[in-house]
Amino acid sequence: MNCPRLRSWFSERYDVDGIRDLFRKKTVPAHRYEIAYYTGGTTLFLFAIQFVTGMVLSLYYIPYFEHAHGSIIEIVTKLNMGWFFRSLHHWGAQIAIVVLFVHLWCTLLLKSYRKPRELLWFSGFILLVISIFFGLSGYLLLWDERAFAAVRVATGGAGNLPLVGGFIKAFLRGGMDVSGDTLTRFYAFHVSILPLFTVLIVAGHVLLVQYHGMSVPLSVSGQTRKDVPFFPNVFYKDLIVWLIVLGMVVTFATLFPPEIRGKADPLAPAPENIKPEWYFLFLFQTLKLFPGQIFGLNGETIAILLITAGILFLLFIPLFDIKSQRGEKSPLFTWIGMIYLLYFLVMTVIGFVS
Amino acid sequence: MKELAMAFAGIFIAVATLWAGQEKIEVFPGSPYEKLIIYENLIIFWIGIIGLVVIIGMKLREIKRIRNMGIDREEKDIPVLD
Repeated sequence: MNCPRLRSWFSERYDVDGIRDLFRKKTVPAHRYEIAYYTGGTTLFLFAIQFVTGMVLSLYYIPYFEHAHGSIIEIVTKLNMGWFFRSLHHWGAQIAIVVLFVHLWCTLLLKSYRKPRELLWFSGFILLVISIFFGLSGYLLLWDERAFAAVRVATGGAGNLPLVGGFIKAFLRGGMDVSGDTLTRFYAFHVSILPLFTVLIVAGHVLLVQYHGMSVPLSVSGQTRKDVPFFPNVFYKDLIVWLIVLGMVVTFATLFPPEIRGKADPLAPAPENIKPEWYFLFLFQTLKLFPGQIFGLNGETIAILLITAGILFLLFIPLFDIKSQRGEKSPLFTWIGMIYLLYFLVMTVIGFVS
Repeated sequence: MKELAMAFAGIFIAVATLWAGQEKIEVFPGSPYEKLIIYENLIIFWIGIIGLVVIIGMKLREIKRIRNMGIDREEKDIPVLD
């Protein structure tokens, strides 16, 4: 498409050539770990799918406890392609969280968080927490018996934190127990508060990536390597990955549409063998390891404190890894990263099987 | 007798409603024709994706070939025809 008048209109007002040069000069380091660079772009692409499918679903969803469950059944059974969009939203979320975890561990093991990229790590970590909360809040919107019980357990677990636990539980639930108020609150989180924070933090994260450039792992930073231009080489490779991921999401959405159980009944007992979503399984399994009482203290509170300490250590890892800050190899933190990864995988598998 | 029959009918309807309520909600179009169309479209979708991946791969190879030949750089002081 060639529109000289439109081009000159923009050129008179903005430095179009300067922006074009900026894109043309952007390069990406080529080395044996370069596959890790594609995880970030893929996450962004999956976030875009979630935004689009979420917007479509919000046109028909009724965020009121009496109608929420029925409105989803209507979307799935009566609307043309409604089942597909719901399934796409569900599988898009699952795969986005998988890719986010892969992105996190690539960053952790390649020490991409080291100076001067600490803020990139913090913003990415906050995005992971937001994404998990997206999952939890979206899960309740279904308002079926399993979602109800899972959210009751999850918010109850947060309530075990000393000092602030009671406040967090009441704030999340909008009352003493999970109720219609919780649904309204989670809907607000899911469609307005979390997307707003996500857009802002993603924008900051992407800007920081552009500012610092791609991180090069320490093991290959000393070697001579040939950088490749982002446009078009890496961009085309990104497109290939996005297409394959899109194909995977569509295939899962078609072959395994998520089920809907009976409408939530706050007075009914929790269904048997209730399990949280897969990304909470490691927490769920950890809580099971602790006895009810440890030296006269509540075992669950101690478990939640230890988990919180573990998560905070992971968040502030760029500040603890002094060797990486100096540009030296730090095998201790590679091992710590591996232990975190193994613990997450093993506990998730045990939680899934048991 | 009539009251007994009415009571039985009432119980039957209540049990039937409960049983029907526990049934799984259909989250995928049930008719064989719709299923066929959906699976057919999934195959066509994958053919499209594979086609696009092949085209982008060819384009990438072409870009690399031009780079290796060194003819991708703009020459300075090139005479302008107009």
